[in-house]
Amino acid sequence: MLTANSADEGRAILEQHNDIVVVICDQKMPGKTGVQFFEEISISHPTPVRMLLTGYTDIESVINAINRGHIFRYITKPWLETDIHSAIEEGYKYYVTTSMLNTRNHELEQAYEELDKFTYNVTHYLRSPLVSVQGALELAVQSNNIDEIKDILRMMKNSLNAMDDFIKNIHGYFTIKQGELTIETVDFNSIAESLREQYADYIQKENIRFDITINQQESFRTDRNLVEMILNNLLSNAFKFQKIDNPSKFVSLHVDINRGSAVIQIEDNGIGIDPTQTDNIFKMFYRASSEREGSGFGLYNVSGTLKKLNGEIKVSSTPGSGTIFTVTIPGK
Amino acid sequence: MEIAEKYDFIVIDDSKLDCFIAEKIIQNTGKSASIKTFMAGSDALAYLQSLAIPELQQKIIILLDIQMPVMNGFEFVEAFELTIPEKLKKQICINLLSSSINESDMIRAQSYHSIFRFLNKPLNKDILLNTIQEWQF
Repeated sequence: MLTANSADEGRAILEQHNDIVVVICDQKMPGKTGVQFFEEISISHPTPVRMLLTGYTDIESVINAINRGHIFRYITKPWLETDIHSAIEEGYKYYVTTSMLNTRNHELEQAYEELDKFTYNVTHYLRSPLVSVQGALELAVQSNNIDEIKDILRMMKNSLNAMDDFIKNIHGYFTIKQGELTIETVDFNSIAESLREQYADYIQKENIRFDITINQQESFRTDRNLVEMILNNLLSNAFKFQKIDNPSKFVSLHVDINRGSAVIQIEDNGIGIDPTQTDNIFKMFYRASSEREGSGFGLYNVSGTLKKLNGEIKVSSTPGSGTIFTVTIPGK
Repeated sequence: MEIAEKYDFIVIDDSKLDCFIAEKIIQNTGKSASIKTFMAGSDALAYLQSLAIPELQQKIIILLDIQMPVMNGFEFVEAFELTIPEKLKKQICINLLSSSINESDMIRAQSYHSIFRFLNKPLNKDILLNTIQEWQF
């Protein structure tokens, strides 16, 4: 409890402490009335609950106190201690409810803003490949050249694959956002095996060397699906953002389990990331390059997943020579 | 009235397929002296900045996508308006070509002096021919 002998002192206290819950003020003070003081602070410091204390009970000062001072309670002198007690208690409850409401409102506003952006982008990423395919179909129908038609079909296939990836990413986004963690003992050697199998055709076709080293001597507990989602996103980026003409493309995955924490490193010698972009790459729908297809969803999902697992991610990259992502996940 | 004149076309789109489609449709109009495609707005801008007016043979028609990474269509137009000399600007017709059905994109497009038309994907030959004709007359 802090006390002040004048309105100015009271204001000074409010300036210094932003956690004041209730302000009780006498109506009759030197220089300023309680109502005037409340009228001022209801604008500059609106959150504390205001109570006016007064020996005068003329109707006009009551009306002023309510209309201009926006007070919560009007307490007449002499007061009963129980009255003050209950007034403060109710004032406190009112304060808590109001500030909770304000926080919720703020969160809602943010959620709506995000939803707007989300809808805009989802419309784009779903409609854009569809419209491309429509345009391509029209060309294919008019063409009599079988090779050209085959080219068009191949491009249509890529376009539809990109659309499919996008839909899977949206699904992933909601799975992460709403899903419960399923903690189990995770063997990174078996994850590595399935990854190698999954990318076998691709790395052969694109002629990329894929090295995996797993160093796991202890058991590690986490959500396997989420870890696989992270690895898949980072690896598919590493494979995708290669330099096309590079004769010795490589991607490496290195996992170290040590003292209950997993350190995962994914390295490539691809096109790299511009240093001005590294802060942005984890943002929703952000794409740092137009050199390759992408929805700007993958790394956003990765960082969302890591938040859920209390993990973190670091990136170091040199444009033109490659990128290293380092992920740290604490075991459960 | 038939347009006899030919134009240099520039397509700016981060989708390879959309560049290909636009290229084919431009070819089909029979109005192209040349067609250049750029997958990044910054590359197209650098190309335009490198052009010297006396060398310019034909007028340029640009088809510009909106949603692109790094530099989107609107950012391209802003940079274009700031850095391209007035004389050259007069020789260039910028059209947005987008799959966007978002009204705010269309309203924003109208606020740029140098955007001539907002065209919807998928594009077809007749719409493109009409656009060229309207720009000329």
